[in-house]
Amino acid sequence: MTGAAPDNSPESPGSVRPAPVDPPGDGRPAAVEFRGVTKIYNEGTSREAVAIRDVSFTIPDLPDKGEISTFLGPSGCGKSTVLRMVAGLEPQFPPTRGSVHVLGREVVGPGSDRGMVFQDYTSFDNRTVLGNVTFGLECRGVPKRRREAEGREWIARVGLDPRRDAAKYPHELSGGMRQRVAIARTLVLRPRIILMDEPFGALDPATRLDMQDLLVRLWREVEATVMFITHSVEEAVYLGDRVFVMATTPGRIAAEIRMPAADAPAREAQVEPWFHEQVNQLQAQLEAIEAAASRPGN
Amino acid sequence: MTEQTEKAVPAAEAPLPRGEEPAAEGHRIAPLRGELSNTAAFFWGFTCIAGVLAVWFVITAGPPGEAEKRMVSPTTLPSVAETFQAIPRVFGERKLVTNTLVTLKRVCLGFGLSCIVGVPLGILAACLPALRAFLAPLMVFGRNIPVAALIPLTFFFFGIGEFQKVMFLFIASVAFVLSDTAAAVLDVPQRYVDTALTLGASRWQIITKVLGPLAAPSIFNSLRLLFGLAFGYVMLAELVKFGSASGGLGDLINMSQRRGEREPILLVLVIIPMVAWAIDRALWWLQSDLFPYRYGGAGLIPRFCGWLLHGRRTEFRP
Repeated sequence: MTGAAPDNSPESPGSVRPAPVDPPGDGRPAAVEFRGVTKIYNEGTSREAVAIRDVSFTIPDLPDKGEISTFLGPSGCGKSTVLRMVAGLEPQFPPTRGSVHVLGREVVGPGSDRGMVFQDYTSFDNRTVLGNVTFGLECRGVPKRRREAEGREWIARVGLDPRRDAAKYPHELSGGMRQRVAIARTLVLRPRIILMDEPFGALDPATRLDMQDLLVRLWREVEATVMFITHSVEEAVYLGDRVFVMATTPGRIAAEIRMPAADAPAREAQVEPWFHEQVNQLQAQLEAIEAAASRPGN
Repeated sequence: MTEQTEKAVPAAEAPLPRGEEPAAEGHRIAPLRGELSNTAAFFWGFTCIAGVLAVWFVITAGPPGEAEKRMVSPTTLPSVAETFQAIPRVFGERKLVTNTLVTLKRVCLGFGLSCIVGVPLGILAACLPALRAFLAPLMVFGRNIPVAALIPLTFFFFGIGEFQKVMFLFIASVAFVLSDTAAAVLDVPQRYVDTALTLGASRWQIITKVLGPLAAPSIFNSLRLLFGLAFGYVMLAELVKFGSASGGLGDLINMSQRRGEREPILLVLVIIPMVAWAIDRALWWLQSDLFPYRYGGAGLIPRFCGWLLHGRRTEFRP
């Protein structure tokens, strides 16, 4: 359990469905690549804190498809650190050692090619739903008529009513609707990488399943690479083509597991026997990793 | 901590032992930090006013023409009736309305200048740490200086006319406006900035499209409270003066004092807080209407502006 799992290791448990294998690399740069990334705060002082140590992994860029990678692990294992490093957000970025590459280029700062959806509601309270969704286009200087037309289209795509909801303000929306706005606001910019930091963590279970379906549908449409942090093993198994299991002290990737793709809607898929078996196996693996981490001397 | 809460839950549900029944009646009349009905709140407020008037009436009561029999001499405190008899004189001869407007004009000019300078500079100071550090000594100086001590200085700098009063108010309030604005911008959670960065906003766009608008409700709230402060300061500037009458409520008090009339002073003292309170309520209404997501107003003005700007495409829902 040291360092990161090697690339392409199908550490897949004997699932009922066969886990897919990575297609052979065709020379395309990886969607996301971490090379020996370490983040230490206040290095060399008494307040030194290691967030992640020597994290390396690769998420391939599948042409016209993209894939969803989910990140599971206990609090403080550095899941958010990994995600915010891809986004280029301080203070997690820049890494103390190592480098982060997105589509073959080293990350130098934040940009709209890597969209991010946060767990906390980050709708701009002073803007209407339409104003929120078109924020990024407005920053790019897209003319008002065009960005509003595009904004309305995306409001409809995330399951809101452009006629009724476009002029509403965030405080008039439910939590699920706010996250729909946040997703539309990110996807309208057509990012190649979508970063989601526990976006459904604050939602009730039924809304959560709806949002999972919505995410899968939109992801097929935009063909982007998704990195998704969650605390829920079910969510990680259902959404993930690839699950990264992380461990603490120091934060690192303990295992990388390929998952069969779920092709049914969340409510149907998550009651099937193979799904439960997959969840149980992953759960056992998580517990083993946590037990190993808490063993003395580790 | 957890243990305590776990224990506390069943204890609250269990019936209380005999002899420890809550004083339900007492709690209903005076709930700790509770809400009061409008009628009850009005009753208590009215009782307070009536009480003050009653005390005033009793200590100044006495047969007419025998002032020496009063508990408090009329040269110290005129009676209620005498004071209210002065109302027509204060409104007519002393031009109360005109003087109030003169005072308000000064506050609006001086405080308005503070806002024009302080708000943009405060937003920039919050965003640019170097500017913040540069302005920090001025802020400490401006916030802690005894305001009354500034008055002689402003006579040297700005003469004895209107300009001096406006500039005095500006100097007295700009540091507060600036530092409150900066604090409001620094209070906007970082996640909004992070979101804007991942949506491709530039640094300047983050200031103008995210930090400024999101801090606006807090800034407006600070300005409303500081306006009350400025209204108090203007009185000071009007009381201390050179030369002839310059108008304003402070001047009205000054003139009455020199003529030995107590009644107009008392009336002005009653009127000033009422004007200040009315302005504060009006600003509060404006504030809650402008920022319904923060202060729960109806949002009439934003909706009306949206309707004006976007025309038919959004419906105006009052």
